[in-house]
Amino acid sequence: MSQQLIQLLVSGLAVGSVYALVGLAFILVNEATGVVNFATGQFVTIGCFVAVTTVIQMALPLVAAYALALLAMALFGVVFYAIVFRPLQDRSVVTVIIGTVMIGIVIQNGALATWGSVPFRPRSPFGRQVVDVFGAAISAHALFVIAVSFLMIGLLYGLIYRTSIGARMRAVAQDRDAARLMGIGVGRLFVLTWMIAGLLTGAAGILVGPMWFADVNMGDPIALKAFAAIIIGGFSSVPGAIVGGVLVGLAEMFGAAYISSAYKDGLVFLVMILFLLIRPQGIFGERIGERA
Amino acid sequence: MAGTNRSLLLAVAGVFLLALLLPLFISGYGIRILNLAFISAIVVIGLNFAFGYAGLITLAQAAFVGCGAYVTAILTTSAGFSPWLSIPLATAFGGVFGVGIGLPILRLKGHYLALATLGLNVSFGIVATNWKSLMGGTDGISGIPALTMGSFSLGTDHRYFYVLWVALVAATWVAWRIRISHVGLAMIAVRDDEIATATSSVDVTRIKVQAFALSAVYAALAGALFAHMTNFVAPDDFALSQSIVYLAMLIIGGEGSIIGAIAGAIIVTFMPELMRDLGSAYMIFFGCLMLLILIFLPKGLLSLVALLGRRFGTARL
Repeated sequence: MSQQLIQLLVSGLAVGSVYALVGLAFILVNEATGVVNFATGQFVTIGCFVAVTTVIQMALPLVAAYALALLAMALFGVVFYAIVFRPLQDRSVVTVIIGTVMIGIVIQNGALATWGSVPFRPRSPFGRQVVDVFGAAISAHALFVIAVSFLMIGLLYGLIYRTSIGARMRAVAQDRDAARLMGIGVGRLFVLTWMIAGLLTGAAGILVGPMWFADVNMGDPIALKAFAAIIIGGFSSVPGAIVGGVLVGLAEMFGAAYISSAYKDGLVFLVMILFLLIRPQGIFGERIGERA
Repeated sequence: MAGTNRSLLLAVAGVFLLALLLPLFISGYGIRILNLAFISAIVVIGLNFAFGYAGLITLAQAAFVGCGAYVTAILTTSAGFSPWLSIPLATAFGGVFGVGIGLPILRLKGHYLALATLGLNVSFGIVATNWKSLMGGTDGISGIPALTMGSFSLGTDHRYFYVLWVALVAATWVAWRIRISHVGLAMIAVRDDEIATATSSVDVTRIKVQAFALSAVYAALAGALFAHMTNFVAPDDFALSQSIVYLAMLIIGGEGSIIGAIAGAIIVTFMPELMRDLGSAYMIFFGCLMLLILIFLPKGLLSLVALLGRRFGTARL
């Protein structure tokens, strides 16, 4: 393989695994709580900037800084649960969509007021170190992103499919009322779900910071790609989000290199809309005609 | 019923007639904002067909405004069309585009429709930014001529106000005729219960496409009027955030109501001017306000008025 091909492959995988993390946060919340969270992108922004605060502004050692940032994001998920999710919980889909869009605007402008409009450049734990992969120079950070993302996805899989908490979460996702009648503490599981959503998006924000700039407007573009990823993968499917995320990441990198860097995002949306029209259940998902 | 309708119509007509006097009292900048509010009102009356009546959640309304504005801009600059001719052409293009997009996309519902229209609006921005030869890229298109009548220019904000006033009155009247027609009732029936409506031999898809296309027509008309007012169009004016603002206008005013659409457009357009002191914190305030309205006043500010009306025993709006 040529050197450029390997570089594109790795950077596509790195970006794609970040989209997969964000997409997973989105479908986890949607499956478990029935809420479509259009503020997911702003979760990533907050994750990235909390890390800016702990790493750059407080100058903590990296491990402590990342741990503190993730802890803050878990808390952020709980606060979001209490202030936003509970009042919107049983409203119509339309109300929830617009409500979370509005909260996204609040969070984004809150971030602007807190961190200002000048972008930060968070450093990677590996600095600008470059690794040789099959003769191609690959940024160590890209490999780190892929590794951490897949570690988190593995942990999530273990939690959902191997623990009793996961079984309860799946039960709530299938039928909330029946789960409640079986004595499952639905409310506590909701809190947990929002915490995990905070952790996943927080990790995505921390990882993406050193790849691009930390900018308060970064949330929407990332969320849009994550949306595209889950549509392509299948809306309620965990493997779908991962495959979709990686596909979108690769399409973005290869599209920019070989087709048009200006239209690379348009390309992703074109594929997303085509999927919606031709195969709305995505690669792995269920048919969506009955769900609305 | 007929009595309340007549008094409501009289009240609306009265407000519109009084609005004709506004340019006498409002100075330059204020009238520019009022003109923008009128243009937004036309957009939101259109959005009310798709969102308020048919219940279709669309996040692409700004893209349709952009279509109207860009078609007008291209026709009157490089193609040399008359400004008066460009407005109906742009409006018609909006309708064709609305049908073309609506036919495939309206099979989707709920958040799928929201995501598809969101992708559409972002894609419009990407195309407008990158198709430099036709749409001018980030610089946009400048030098769009103002409307004239013979040698009399309608280009000043005070004169253009009357053009927009005529357009808004016409848009309101047409919307009202559609609302009380069979088509308008069918749209509301589709929103309330799609399956029941389909079993009453109403072609649901067709009604949805009609509602969507109507909202595109209104948006394109408003876009064309916007282009002739600012003499300049650029991608930023038609971004996704603007689509969200249009939805917010409709929700603040009261979805499913033409008067609510107009009131919401005017309130939201003037709000940042009245709260200049908040500075960059304004958007935080705006988002919180929207959330509170969604939670506590799901029918918008009109439900407040209706509540007061019931208390004082007068007609409901």
